[in-house]
Amino acid sequence: MRELELYFGPQHLGMVGNFSITLKVEGDRVVKADANPGYLHRGFEKLMEQRSWIKNFPMVCRINVVEPDSMELAYATAVESLAGIEVPERAQFIRSIYLELARVGSHLFGLWAYSNMLGFDTAAQWAMYHRDLVLDLFEELTGGRVYHIYIWPGGVRRDFPEGFEKRLVETLHSIGGCVPDYDACFFDNRLFYDRAAGIGKITREEAMEMGGTGQALRATGVPYDVRKIEPYAAYDKVPWEVPTREDGDAFSRIWVVRDEMIESVHMIFKLLDEMPKGDVYNRIPNPFKWRIPEGETYVRCESSRGELGLYLVSDGGDKPYRVHFRTPSYPHGLTILEKALVGESISDVGNIMISLYVVAPEIDR
Amino acid sequence: MDRALIDSLSSTFDALRVEVPREDRLTVQAPRDAVMSVLSFLKGRGYDHLHMVSCVDWMEEGQFELVYVLSAYGTGQDSASNPGEEIILKTRIPRELPTVVSSISLFKNAEPYEREIHELFGVRFEGHPRLTPLFLERDYEIPPFRKDFDTRQYVEDFFGSIPPVGEEDQDV
Repeated sequence: MRELELYFGPQHLGMVGNFSITLKVEGDRVVKADANPGYLHRGFEKLMEQRSWIKNFPMVCRINVVEPDSMELAYATAVESLAGIEVPERAQFIRSIYLELARVGSHLFGLWAYSNMLGFDTAAQWAMYHRDLVLDLFEELTGGRVYHIYIWPGGVRRDFPEGFEKRLVETLHSIGGCVPDYDACFFDNRLFYDRAAGIGKITREEAMEMGGTGQALRATGVPYDVRKIEPYAAYDKVPWEVPTREDGDAFSRIWVVRDEMIESVHMIFKLLDEMPKGDVYNRIPNPFKWRIPEGETYVRCESSRGELGLYLVSDGGDKPYRVHFRTPSYPHGLTILEKALVGESISDVGNIMISLYVVAPEIDR
Repeated sequence: MDRALIDSLSSTFDALRVEVPREDRLTVQAPRDAVMSVLSFLKGRGYDHLHMVSCVDWMEEGQFELVYVLSAYGTGQDSASNPGEEIILKTRIPRELPTVVSSISLFKNAEPYEREIHELFGVRFEGHPRLTPLFLERDYEIPPFRKDFDTRQYVEDFFGSIPPVGEEDQDV
């Protein structure tokens, strides 16, 4: 059969985000896939070298549009580790709660993208609505709906407002109450199984040799989670589990996402019970005249897509010397995606890409 | 950090500078020729997860610094490597004609990182199968992430040379 070249994205119904894949197809089977990022490259890491330490917070948020909060955390902890700043215990708890809330919001968005792509419009609309409830909570806490700029060096910007904890619990209960509906409509639906089981399969060895983390790895049975292996914020203060699955296909990855969301909600309840009283930030020097001691650091955390790392170098000045983010979508969207697409049908390209949880701005930066 | 690992690193390789800045962190400074053998040594010891390859431009010293961040997945039989520890391997190469051997044969996910560093810093990776552009659409005289590339000047020169809409009409 004749081989054809097919451009999948950046303007394609099955594509989420500004990303394209150049496919070589034979019939409707993919023979070779070339991931093609660059539609969104803003050179943030270079721009950050020209702005003072504190002014970079609005920039790091925009690297991952869907979940900006773990970016804030990575940058704030890197600055803290270079400058030797401690974070009060209450702020550690608030950070964990805030990050788990962000994870729920991000997973709901991912669920919208995935179920929408498969044609499950009802579940997709529910997920978008529930994400909006999470955004309302963020708006009340931080003033922003999408980009929050809430975590900063030394703690968080402000304490929970009056009555926030009650509204947080209520909202999470009302979202959690819909889990049986989601299951009936989507997760236990035979059509979802038929479309996703065995699709985009990656073995454990393949995932590990290509730098996979997050759902891509946990769906192959490896309980690898930075929150467990190198705990930060308050993740070592309460008990929680790392959900895994064994098959390594799109079906398993989306189920890991579902289980993770539920685990996050339970974790928020546990953290709220244990939360101590006290300050929420330690004073930092005047941010406009702030010079960070010379040095380099590497920090990592678990974003909703996998392991997020940041290599930060200071030359002792008032601006970073070099910033480099290790974003989880980078290996997932370039190395693993190119491998996972080979041999699959054209109709499953979007399925595999979204189940790998690739978000294009993270790759381009 | 495992003491035995540090000892065997310094006894296997000469000219390594090994530091322990934190309990769970190891920084290794290696000469360019030793990078591949150190990476393969560490991979054999269970450090099988390459986080990233990065590059820092130390313009005043006339050098690029390549940075490899490694840790362990912790799934192997050998439990000596703890997944909570990271190893940062650094090597300095001259800014004039910078070349280094590609590490794809050891870590497949090094491919896009090396491609990016080639594009943004102009470092050549020997043995890399596709050093084609990844992000950028135009050609640059100086690779744009080098310190002597002035972003603001470039924006002024490049976009400033495009006449504003309607200017031709005003001249008439």
